Amino acid sequence: MHRFISKAVVIISAAALIFTSLAGCAKKPAAADNYAVVGITQEPGIFDPHTVVAAGDEEIIFNIYEGLYKFDSEGNLNPCLATDVEISDDASVYTFTIRKGVKFHDGSDLDPADVVYSIKRAAGLLDGQGGVALVSELDPVSEVKDLSDGRVQVTLESGNSELLSYFTTGIIPEGYDNCQAAPMGTGPFKFDSYNPGQSVILVRNENYWQKGLPYLDKVTFKVCADMDAGLTELSSGSIDIFPYLTTDRAAQLDSSRYNILSNGSNMVQIFALNNKVEPLNDVRVREAINYAINRDDIISVTMDGAGVKLTTAMSPALGGYYDTSLDGTFDQDLEKAKALMAEAGYENGFDITCTVTSSYLIHVNTAVELASELKAIGINMEIKQVDWATWLDTVYTGRQYETTVIALTSTYAPYDVLERYRSTSDGNFINYSNAKVDELMEKIPMTADSEERTALYHQVLGILTEDACSAYIQDPATITAVSTRLEGYHVYPMYVQDMSTVKLAQN
Amino acid sequence: MQSKAGYLIGKTVELILTLLVVSLLVFAAFSIIPGDTARVMLGPDASESQVELLRAEMGLDKPLATRYLTWLASLITFDPGKSYAYNVSVGELIAQRLPVTIGMSVIAMIMVIIISYPLAVLSARKPGRLGDQVCSVIGHVLFAIPPYVASLLLILLAGSIFSLLTVGNYVRPSDDFAGYIACLLLPSFAVALPKIAMSFKFLRSSIIEQKTADYVRTSKSHGLSDLKILIRHVLPNSNVSSITIISIILSDILGGSLIVEQVFNLPGLGRLLLSAISRRDFPLLSGIVFYLAFVTVLLYFISDIASSLADPRIRLK
Amino acid sequence: MASAKRNKTYRSPEASAFYTAGLILLGIVVIAFIISLFWTPFAPDATDASSKLLAPCLRHPFGTDNFGRDVLSRVMSASKYTIFISIAGVAIALILGTAAGIPAGYYGGLADRGIMLLNNSIMCFPGILLALVAVAVFGASVTNVIWALGLVFAPTFARVCRVGTMEIKELDYITHARVMGVRPGRIMTLHIFPNLIPQLLPATVIGLANMTLFESGMSYLGLGVQPPDASFGKMLADAQAYIRVAPWLIIFPALMLVFYILGLYFISEGLRVSLSKGGK
Repeated sequence: MHRFISKAVVIISAAALIFTSLAGCAKKPAAADNYAVVGITQEPGIFDPHTVVAAGDEEIIFNIYEGLYKFDSEGNLNPCLATDVEISDDASVYTFTIRKGVKFHDGSDLDPADVVYSIKRAAGLLDGQGGVALVSELDPVSEVKDLSDGRVQVTLESGNSELLSYFTTGIIPEGYDNCQAAPMGTGPFKFDSYNPGQSVILVRNENYWQKGLPYLDKVTFKVCADMDAGLTELSSGSIDIFPYLTTDRAAQLDSSRYNILSNGSNMVQIFALNNKVEPLNDVRVREAINYAINRDDIISVTMDGAGVKLTTAMSPALGGYYDTSLDGTFDQDLEKAKALMAEAGYENGFDITCTVTSSYLIHVNTAVELASELKAIGINMEIKQVDWATWLDTVYTGRQYETTVIALTSTYAPYDVLERYRSTSDGNFINYSNAKVDELMEKIPMTADSEERTALYHQVLGILTEDACSAYIQDPATITAVSTRLEGYHVYPMYVQDMSTVKLAQN
Repeated sequence: MQSKAGYLIGKTVELILTLLVVSLLVFAAFSIIPGDTARVMLGPDASESQVELLRAEMGLDKPLATRYLTWLASLITFDPGKSYAYNVSVGELIAQRLPVTIGMSVIAMIMVIIISYPLAVLSARKPGRLGDQVCSVIGHVLFAIPPYVASLLLILLAGSIFSLLTVGNYVRPSDDFAGYIACLLLPSFAVALPKIAMSFKFLRSSIIEQKTADYVRTSKSHGLSDLKILIRHVLPNSNVSSITIISIILSDILGGSLIVEQVFNLPGLGRLLLSAISRRDFPLLSGIVFYLAFVTVLLYFISDIASSLADPRIRLK
Repeated sequence: MASAKRNKTYRSPEASAFYTAGLILLGIVVIAFIISLFWTPFAPDATDASSKLLAPCLRHPFGTDNFGRDVLSRVMSASKYTIFISIAGVAIALILGTAAGIPAGYYGGLADRGIMLLNNSIMCFPGILLALVAVAVFGASVTNVIWALGLVFAPTFARVCRVGTMEIKELDYITHARVMGVRPGRIMTLHIFPNLIPQLLPATVIGLANMTLFESGMSYLGLGVQPPDASFGKMLADAQAYIRVAPWLIIFPALMLVFYILGLYFISEGLRVSLSKGGK
């Protein structure tokens, strides 16, 4: 029924939107300043919920699209467009009950056919997609069926108990294929316009299924060149909310005009060591590096102290999956580091290059601090800055590097965090290879019992730390400045800006 | 002697040849840039198959020669395709950013003219006097301050001393024209400073040179006042080369504004350019670089023609 | 013909004033550079998380930056790159420029047209744009910055050489040499080039200054000297975030940068004055 949606419909709905907002004005006098401007540092590019990859796009469209399930600011997975899910014992069949009374932005009702279309599209099961999943994590989906009783059944190729968090992927109207130009979902805000390099504007969804939400009439995501540019705009008042600050920069803001919120970001900042190049292929050298660095100093210099020290591949934000027994494994110990270097035959140290992307100041600064610290054990680290494109190409995809610093972001899925350490994984840019880890990672999705699964995760983390596969540094805090004009903003432990709960402060 | 038409034709052929070489240079440069556009667009978490799909969609798998010809054709029709990163036509993107860059260039140029002309005229009236010397020294100092350093110093001053002009708050001309001019004042001034010095120095010395010319001395003996001589004879004569200097200054201002925009966080061509560089956005990058070069070539072309019209001797060279 | 014989340079008081001012300013930077080769108060890259953003004091006369690094030491070591890049870049520009400009002026005709077309095409790009693109293509590093700037500045020298050669080649002794069968290569290197030096000298000094302007701009954008190495442009870029709380991070590198450029300008002015007066 949505097959013939065209530009005309979009235009009509835009017109309808103007009309309804005018009608809204007539009913209750809307405050002229009932809007918020959020500063973002990444250029938005992709608005299709299934092809979106960049975290910076994700944080915007979180407000436009919704999935069957949705994360809240605590990291809990809650039912959203589904009211519940039934998972078969072998975790190969997921049956969702679809919520009733939800409307898309064009006013049409959400029904199971839309869900089937969306999941098929994401999993690459539509005709003409050639089986290439748009959301690669949903690749295991083999069949999606409308059970005609308001439920949708998703069948997987094999059992996978870790898939629920991917059903947060956006649901779009059946047959709709214009998400890039005219995003349409069921979220609290509707897409209004995109001015490349400048802003993305969203407006209130009057028909939002969660009554009373959202509060704001309009949200603008404004592009700032970088953190410092955003800071300037914050102080001049042209931005209300600005995430991803460092504490020393946040400290420069007028505290009567801004509240500073701080939260773990569920990121893992890693000093990645290419396990395939000499001398980093020697576990003793990698251990020596881990003992030589002072994570507290790095956090002090890069985040002014606002970060959580990490010695393993996962952020404590993942709760039980995180293994607290590994805390403190690599506290700075220069003697031990030197001994390990000598044992490996490098008592005089060696030269090494750190290829880091200039797009992220925190990583460049970390590299600078690391270089200074590594001198103590004779490692002479040269820093090579490359732009984001070159970094992705040569370091991440090409794996032509010795060391690098980057933050690994993830959704709230522990499997996702550790998947990259499988020897055959696309994301295994550190060239790590351990048969035991491969085996454990095979086993985890088949394990239905959650306690058992947690134990397996702990085992993987333990091996990674034991192998000193790289040096983990910190989970940098997300520091957000929010204008005192607004309230109700929550910092998520993932790359998301939830604007639905933000409202004007009641003074 | 070469005819006027012959000169024009010669210059036009040169213009077209230059533009062709420019386009080749631009294309060659961007074809050897390392970095996979499709991978950049999708980010590190995308799978290989997703990347392949996008690459084919964008025509990145076609041979180089084909891509050059398609690109050249698209440039000539002023429609150099869609930006990979923004998914919007390049022309539209550039047009959106022009108000900042053009605004800054125009304001800076006006500043250069209204500040350097009177100062140069005053200085040149009695060269060597204290006022002249002070102006010259200040001129040298200003000439030595890179525009971005001047910007930083201005921000430092503007922020702490007279927070009159807002920093980093771009206002679109369609929203509030006065606000638009106001937000460009400081950055334009930063870009203009060294050029004010340059144009002052040039004008001053050419006025002094002209003043010693016979015809000026004659007019003086006829009782014309200094000021009248300056306006009637000296300036028009030195204006021949002013045209050249102005085109050089304009092209420098354009270059300078690219960096200064970055300091003031203004959404102009410079920032678009940098983001295009870091995102491997070939159509956008080549579009910006080519059109900027195009504007410069055109500036020089116009200044050549204008100078030759003003002074036919130039054609003889 | 004015350029043919200028052995004696007349020193006007104006020129002397320029030379003195120029040498003093340049001297400050050069001395800082020379001392930095042997000694800096602290290691310029040594971070110290416990002494971040200290205002100028006895221990740190120029203060410390956000890593706790000593700004004086960094300013001293930054002068190294400024001086090195400008000299190396100008050397490349000079070599390329004379190699293209002298033959173009000497042979004229098609060769001249071809070289000048390429020359003009390069000059059509706002200089910084071309350098940025070149560095973006080949990656940001000191070597690449030098090559990029060398390329961008070569056309200026080529122009000077071409015009100068066209003048000189009409002189009698060159015609004589040609008639006597001296090979063109020999004429260009032994007879023409030395006579171009008086014209190339001010261009070279100005080139050094302009090159520094460009290099610092590129470093400011993060496309020049790479951290942890210090350069004035990069130091200024990093300092921008602390412009309100730590203005000393801006002031000292900016001063040194301006001293260097201004010193060169003054010297080139002095050269211009004395050469033009000496010629007349």
